[in-house]
Amino acid sequence: MDPLFFQQVLNGLIIGSLYSLVAIGLTMIFGVMKISNFAQGDYCMVGAYVALFITAWIPGWMGWVGSVLAAAAVVGILGIVTERLIFRPLLTRWTDIDIIMVSIGLFILLENLAQLLFGATPRMMPDPFGSSTVSMGPVSTSVLRIFCFAFSIVTIAVLQIFLNRSRMGVAIRATSQNRFAAQLMGIDINLVYLLTFALGTALAGIGGVLYGTLFAVYPLMGGMPTLKAFVVTILGGMGSIRGAIFGAFILGVAEALGGNYIAMEYKDAIGFCIIILVLLIRPTGLFGEKEGA
Amino acid sequence: MSEKTRKWLCRTIVLAILIFLPQVIKDRYFMHIVVTAGIFMILCMSWNLLAGYAGLLNLGHAAFYGIGAYSSALLAIKLGVSPWFGLFAGGLVAAFFGFLLGFPSLRLSGPYLAITTIGFAEILRLVAVNWVGLTRGSLGLSGIPLLSAIRLGDWSFKFYLEKDYYYVVLGAVLLTFFCIRRLTASEFGVSLQALRDDAPGAQSIGIKTTGYKLAVFTVSAFFAGFAGALFAHFARLVSPETMALHTTFDILTMTMIGGLGTIAGPILGAVTLTFFSEWLRYLEELIKLDIRLVVYGLMLILTILFMREGLAGVLGRLVERFRGSGAVWKGEDKA
Repeated sequence: MDPLFFQQVLNGLIIGSLYSLVAIGLTMIFGVMKISNFAQGDYCMVGAYVALFITAWIPGWMGWVGSVLAAAAVVGILGIVTERLIFRPLLTRWTDIDIIMVSIGLFILLENLAQLLFGATPRMMPDPFGSSTVSMGPVSTSVLRIFCFAFSIVTIAVLQIFLNRSRMGVAIRATSQNRFAAQLMGIDINLVYLLTFALGTALAGIGGVLYGTLFAVYPLMGGMPTLKAFVVTILGGMGSIRGAIFGAFILGVAEALGGNYIAMEYKDAIGFCIIILVLLIRPTGLFGEKEGA
Repeated sequence: MSEKTRKWLCRTIVLAILIFLPQVIKDRYFMHIVVTAGIFMILCMSWNLLAGYAGLLNLGHAAFYGIGAYSSALLAIKLGVSPWFGLFAGGLVAAFFGFLLGFPSLRLSGPYLAITTIGFAEILRLVAVNWVGLTRGSLGLSGIPLLSAIRLGDWSFKFYLEKDYYYVVLGAVLLTFFCIRRLTASEFGVSLQALRDDAPGAQSIGIKTTGYKLAVFTVSAFFAGFAGALFAHFARLVSPETMALHTTFDILTMTMIGGLGTIAGPILGAVTLTFFSEWLRYLEELIKLDIRLVVYGLMLILTILFMREGLAGVLGRLVERFRGSGAVWKGEDKA
């Protein structure tokens, strides 16, 4: 078999793990609050900038781990603020179109505010592993990429444990299934909304640190993660966390293989082609529930 | 004076002012902005037909614009087709793509439709970037011919100055306005609004969802393509960036600020924001900060939160206060 095949699958899985973090945040927020947040990628961008400043301040290992925690905290707080100021007043008024458009407004605002504050120049984050690489049989990759992959998997696992085992996690899942029934069971919906939004955006913040570490940090970097996260969640079915995880890895691998075997320049179109086909056959995505669309 | 004569008098005066405007204002830069605003008016009106009246959030509108621009430009450059014919050909090619995009959109709404349409526009943009043989890639097509001169016997009218294009765009805007106004006031338009507000209810009284959705996509795409073709022969340069997401966001912001789902909204929004953005450009020079898009984002958010009816709604209420009826300006236009 083509040795490049395994290399591309590995690359796809690594990128897929990044997609999954951002997409899980998006799908959780959609599941619980029915908000399609087009500003999701900009939370990544904010997270990446936080990390950029922290790693410049504390070098090496400690800095990297600290930057992830700081990014999650800062972006989570930003998430709460935006939810309170912008999304909450709209939840009971108008339609889902208004919510999408207001999030587009937030997207334009955050992106250009960042450009105003930090300048347009892309900046690189330091590699705590000194760009060392590992080889396993036919494939090789940088330690940094493996580390990012492992880090995403651990984050997803922790999140799964939180959602399945803790009281609050169960409350979030219950609200996602049926918010009225959840309310009847005495769940504080407002708290669940707040927590979900904070959690969903914090995940995007963490994803942003990984994006920034592997690629570059610049104000307009949020567009791609937003689109990829939407492709992934629609592929998996909006509101489904399992769907987002599978969708992310499917998209990552499909893009890597498609980029290699079909055409590199159309790599970013592959995801869109997949979802247009999937939506033609199943308008609610692969793992979505019937009422979604 | 009866209501009817007063209405006609108003229309004649407005039209006369619009026709004589270039004779009064000689500034070419100003006329350039006016022409740009006119092209955006057509784009906003066509987008409003989908998003405002039919409730279909199309985030790939820039693709129709780009298709129209590329089609007309390529026809003129490669085949030497007259740009006048190209204006309609551009619209027709875009309409065909709109019809195609209508199919996956039949069963979709909200975020699903939004992403599908973004995907459509991104795929086309990538085609425009990568099909270098036809489109010259990211360089874009340049040297697109101007609209050819109109000759009637000894008299001829050439198109090379902004004020010449002003009349073409004025005609195009009026044409689009009347078509879309007739459409939205007809049974078709009312059915669309019924579909937007209550799809199962509309279906239960016999409104055919499928046909209407395909038709509105086709019509909206036609006018966007028409605007694109106009732009191509005015700017004489088309690049893949025309189809980028930010063009759609510009259209969206203008329409929202003007007033979504109203007749006057897209026109007000396009004029206000085109001029406002020129003023911001001037301000940016003064304070050395790129604040234009920050202001756009903020305005979009604030409009949706506090002024959802947009400028058209606010003006309508003012007119209502003075005259006691402002139906023309508002969303629930009965015309």
